[in-house]
Amino acid sequence: MAPRSDPQKLLRQVMARFVREEVAPVARQVDESGRFPRELFVKLAQMHAFGLRYPVKNGGAGGNATLYCIMCEELAQGLLSLAAIAAKQCLMATNFLHRFADQEMRQRYFLPALRGELVGSFCLTEPEAGGDLGRVSTTAVKDGDGWVVSGMKTWITNAPVADFFTVLCQTDPEQGIRGLNFFFVPRGTPGVQVSPGFQTLGTRSTEISEVAFNDCRIPARFLLGQEGKGLGALLAILAEIRAMTAALALGLAKAAYQAGFQYAKERSAFGKTINQYQLIQSKIARLATDIWAAELMLYDTTAKIDAGQRPSKESMMVKYFATEVACRACDEATRILGAYGYSMEYPVQRYFRDARFLLYGGGTHEVLQTNIARELGF
Amino acid sequence: MPGQPDSPLCVAVLVKQVPDSAEIKMDPRTGTLIREGVPAVMNPDDRLGLETALALKDSLGALVTALSMGPIQAVDVLSEALAMGADRGVLLSDRNFAGADTWATSFTLGRALERLMSQGPLDLVICGRQASDGDTAQIGPQVAEHLGWPQVTYVERLEVEGRELRAWRRLPGLVQKVLCPLPAVVTVLATPQAPRWPLVDRLLWACREAAPLEVWDAADIEAPAARTGLKGSLTRVVKTFSPKGQRVTQWLEGTAAEQSQALLAELRGHKLI
Amino acid sequence: MAIWVIADKCTGCGLCVKACPYGAMQVQDKLAALGPRCTQCGACLEACKFEALGSDLADEPRPDLSGYRGVWVFCEVQDGALARVSLELLGQGARLAAELGQTLATVLLGEDVEGLVPELAAQGADRVYLAQDAGLAAYSTLAYTRVLSELIATHRPNILLLGATPLGRDLAPRLSRRLDLGLTADCTELAIDPVDGGLWQTRPAFGGNVMATIVTPTARPQMATVRPGVMALGPRRDGAQAEVVRHPVRLEPGDLLVRLLASQAQGQRPVDLGAARVIVAGGRGCGGPQGMELLAQLAQALGGELGGTRVAVEEGWLGQARQIGQTGVTVRPDLYIACGISGAIQHRAGCLGARYIVAINRDRRAPIFSVADYALAGDMFKIVPAMLAALKGAA
Ligand SMILES: Cc1cc2nc3c(=O)[nH]c(=O)nc-3n(C[C@H](O)[C@H](O)[C@H](O)COP(=O)(O)OP(=O)(O)OC[C@H]3O[C@@H](n4cnc5c(N)ncnc54)[C@H](O)[C@@H]3O)c2cc1C
Ligand SMILES: Cc1cc2nc3c(=O)[nH]c(=O)nc-3n(C[C@H](O)[C@H](O)[C@H](O)COP(=O)(O)OP(=O)(O)OC[C@H]3O[C@@H](n4cnc5c(N)ncnc54)[C@H](O)[C@@H]3O)c2cc1C
Ligand SMILES: Cc1cc2nc3c(=O)[nH]c(=O)nc-3n(C[C@H](O)[C@H](O)[C@H](O)COP(=O)(O)OP(=O)(O)OC[C@H]3O[C@@H](n4cnc5c(N)ncnc54)[C@H](O)[C@@H]3O)c2cc1C
Repeated sequence: MAPRSDPQKLLRQVMARFVREEVAPVARQVDESGRFPRELFVKLAQMHAFGLRYPVKNGGAGGNATLYCIMCEELAQGLLSLAAIAAKQCLMATNFLHRFADQEMRQRYFLPALRGELVGSFCLTEPEAGGDLGRVSTTAVKDGDGWVVSGMKTWITNAPVADFFTVLCQTDPEQGIRGLNFFFVPRGTPGVQVSPGFQTLGTRSTEISEVAFNDCRIPARFLLGQEGKGLGALLAILAEIRAMTAALALGLAKAAYQAGFQYAKERSAFGKTINQYQLIQSKIARLATDIWAAELMLYDTTAKIDAGQRPSKESMMVKYFATEVACRACDEATRILGAYGYSMEYPVQRYFRDARFLLYGGGTHEVLQTNIARELGF
Repeated sequence: MPGQPDSPLCVAVLVKQVPDSAEIKMDPRTGTLIREGVPAVMNPDDRLGLETALALKDSLGALVTALSMGPIQAVDVLSEALAMGADRGVLLSDRNFAGADTWATSFTLGRALERLMSQGPLDLVICGRQASDGDTAQIGPQVAEHLGWPQVTYVERLEVEGRELRAWRRLPGLVQKVLCPLPAVVTVLATPQAPRWPLVDRLLWACREAAPLEVWDAADIEAPAARTGLKGSLTRVVKTFSPKGQRVTQWLEGTAAEQSQALLAELRGHKLI
Repeated sequence: MAIWVIADKCTGCGLCVKACPYGAMQVQDKLAALGPRCTQCGACLEACKFEALGSDLADEPRPDLSGYRGVWVFCEVQDGALARVSLELLGQGARLAAELGQTLATVLLGEDVEGLVPELAAQGADRVYLAQDAGLAAYSTLAYTRVLSELIATHRPNILLLGATPLGRDLAPRLSRRLDLGLTADCTELAIDPVDGGLWQTRPAFGGNVMATIVTPTARPQMATVRPGVMALGPRRDGAQAEVVRHPVRLEPGDLLVRLLASQAQGQRPVDLGAARVIVAGGRGCGGPQGMELLAQLAQALGGELGGTRVAVEEGWLGQARQIGQTGVTVRPDLYIACGISGAIQHRAGCLGARYIVAINRDRRAPIFSVADYALAGDMFKIVPAMLAALKGAA
């Protein structure tokens, strides 16, 4: 056979160049604006990036979890907000439409979302239900030939700019978590109310807010999936969500590491460049080792996902590990840079703030460690 | 056939794989080039060439073939060309092609273009102005001579109307607008729109077996060994070296006039001014 | 055809790694190893001091080239006058011709250019090949290629030099393919091989990061384009005579296919410090807009761009696009002249990639001197005007 390129290598190269040429020059400005990075979002859409995970016959690019994570990792090296927004559009915001929407919804919402014309969001968290989804109290009640959704969601990424919401609701409180189902609610639906955006520590250009659903009437077909199968549908992508979060963490860790590495070779103190001090070498050696480990774990996990497995334990381990590595890398980078790590003019402070973003979605580390121990039979 | 109003314009774009100059770093102490681990990428000017061709595809429905000579790994630049929107990619790869100077490179590319013409029409060949590694900017005019076609160099904008092209040439301090009959060869150094990004779906498609990518060797293009590669080259690189070694600070003393004289003499000695 | 490493002779010294233009050579386990990027150019063979590289790249038998004599310079005419690069080439051509014991000739093409002959003679030309025709009034690739190739075929020169100007780099490659000649691009140095009299053509590649010396062993004339501004002018010989050889011109319609429709002068393009070859940069030491204006004059005299430190930008002496450093742009010019700049790391990080750094500062302990190739301790308001005066005197 004639030779063919390796899609992983090529996608990585293209995304790295995209970051270098399109993202890096505006990253600081986008972060400081605190606004949804519409221009970059549209550019990614024009590259057909949001269909990466979906089959070609459904309007996607025919990629897989590994390719998806490679893209997330590379984008995270430029601007974590953008990477997280893209990651969400590719997966959580569109996955349920992709699996369950009818033809009309596909044409009206799914394909436009892949084209970047519509922004989606994913609503699980509630004021009283964070990691503990069993306490979700937003309800969807059958009413004639439709449903009525009522309740309150919070910490919803993209809500201020979202055109539609995928909402986790309780249809049968008796059933507990088995009564959880996903519903599709377009923004224009009467009763949808979006609060002003939150002020956050990091990823400042991801706009986040609360969404209230005040008796929102939606047609029956907006129930995404078979009634009672909502949790199963979530579990089907949970490992990939966690792997994606790990990919974001890995990208951020690499960016912070690179910044520290470069600076240490240029800066001198006490008569030599600081890379010649063993304490700085120790930081670099440890981070490089951690980053390598995270990378191996991540792409081992995605290979399993691509082979049709559900590597639940591995995905929790890598989300937890890679995020800790990212937090450490960003911390060390700000130390290596000395006072300049504290300056708003250098990107390292942004890495440091942004790293905290990774701690919550996909499971807090307390919860993940608990679950890992459980899966180990401990 | 070319010239008939209903047949699409057929364009070939020449693309070269080069070391990524953004990743080429200088050793700050010695001032020499660090080459280890530098990835190979598409020559930046060739992205402009592709954009020029693909804009013609958008406006006139041109058929775009990307052509590259290089080792098997150079298939990557063709995959990227397909991902940007090219219709077909042809890689010229053969042990005999290695070590070519511009004469032998343009001969090989010229033979391949002739083979393309034996398969169908060809109206326009687009090259980058210059490759970022060899830096000679000689291939475009040499390919034009091989084909016996007119050439338009330093193009920043291009329009095709019927059997003619109108091109804007960017020269120092001046833009020339010229008219040239087709078929022709152009070399480009800029485009009105920044070159488009590869599409992710086309990128993955380009990596699959069904992608319209071919590899041609010396026999396919009937290129005799004596005219390709190092053997067919008329120039020989006999030595390469770093433009300078370690930085050593040299103090220039004296009055301001003496200092500036000494400095200018040094700068002239290094051909810096 | 191949190159291989002879393991028991290789010392792993790495000379071949340095010599390889393609980055294909590596030292692994103390032995040289050829990677897939090898193009068998043979540069490593010359570099190895231990005969540890074998090859079956046979040197072809050399044809008899003694019938090709004389150094030729192609004359570029701009607005009726000789382009400066042509004068530079005449200066260089005269030196090469003298070394070879051959004559220096120029090729002059145009509609009515005969009046330039005395000047060419004064610049060192022994002979002028003159081709005049209305079709040659403006440069046209195909017409000029035709006339030059006829002249070369008839008179068989040994060396042909053209300026590496937009015109020269449009014409020379076309001609080289028509006549099957080797061509070296954009040379910055030319010398004669003392052994076989061949032309050593040295040129930058990889964006100036590597220099390569190139020869043309089997074809004559040896052709090169030469970068403007690097060759010194020769001594004037006022009143010298040159033999004029007229060449009859017969152009065909096919030689004038490309038609010039319009030509428009272009104003300033946006600053692109990243691409500048020469940068003059100023800092707080400029003391104000007047100091920066002085540096702007120096930049202009050197054909370079103006840049500066963050202080200079914050003071409003320079636009933001011209800030060099960690939070500005990173530059890699051939020449960087830092004036009144202390050389804080945030600034240094942006200019270390320069090939040559010149620092002018009145404080001998300023850190900028530690990264400078040329250190001038003193007042920039004295040194820079002295440079400007010297540059004016030379022009
Ligand atoms: C930037 C950002 C964007 C977000 N975007 C979205 C979004 O788009 N959609 C969405 O639905 N949600 C979103 N969230 C919410 C996120 O998913 C929740 O923050 C997460 O699920 C944790 O919930 P919580 O913050 O309420 O913490 P809680 O669950 O209240 O936990 C509080 C603390 O208690 C600990 N804890 C809880 N349970 C246990 C246990 N069993 N054992 C030990 N310790 C425990 C936790 O680790 C944590 O330290 C976002 C959050 C952030 C910060
Ligand atoms: C250090 C060094 C110095 C050299 N100096 C010379 C020299 O002075 N004279 C000489 O004859 N050779 C020289 N060479 C060899 C030369 O680099 C090669 O012949 C090369 O294949 C083509 O030249 P280029 O890279 O300069 O391309 P350019 O002429 O600068 O390229 C212009 C355009 O031609 C097209 N093109 C070029 N190469 C290919 C390709 N392989 N496949 C498809 N399209 C292509 C692209 O569109 C490109 O944008 C040198 C090589 C090295 C490493
Ligand atoms: C977060 C952060 C980011 C930064 N980013 C950048 C950046 O990207 N780029 C940058 O340049 N800076 C940057 N800086 C600023 C940097 O730290 C220095 O403050 C700045 O580079 C100093 O500028 P200077 O050399 O012009 O001024 P100074 O340090 O004040 O030096 C002026 C020099 O001029 C000399 N001098 C005075 N008069 C004369 C004279 N008549 N003749 C000759 N010499 C004279 C003096 O001896 C002195 O050495 C940054 C700082 C911070 C905190």
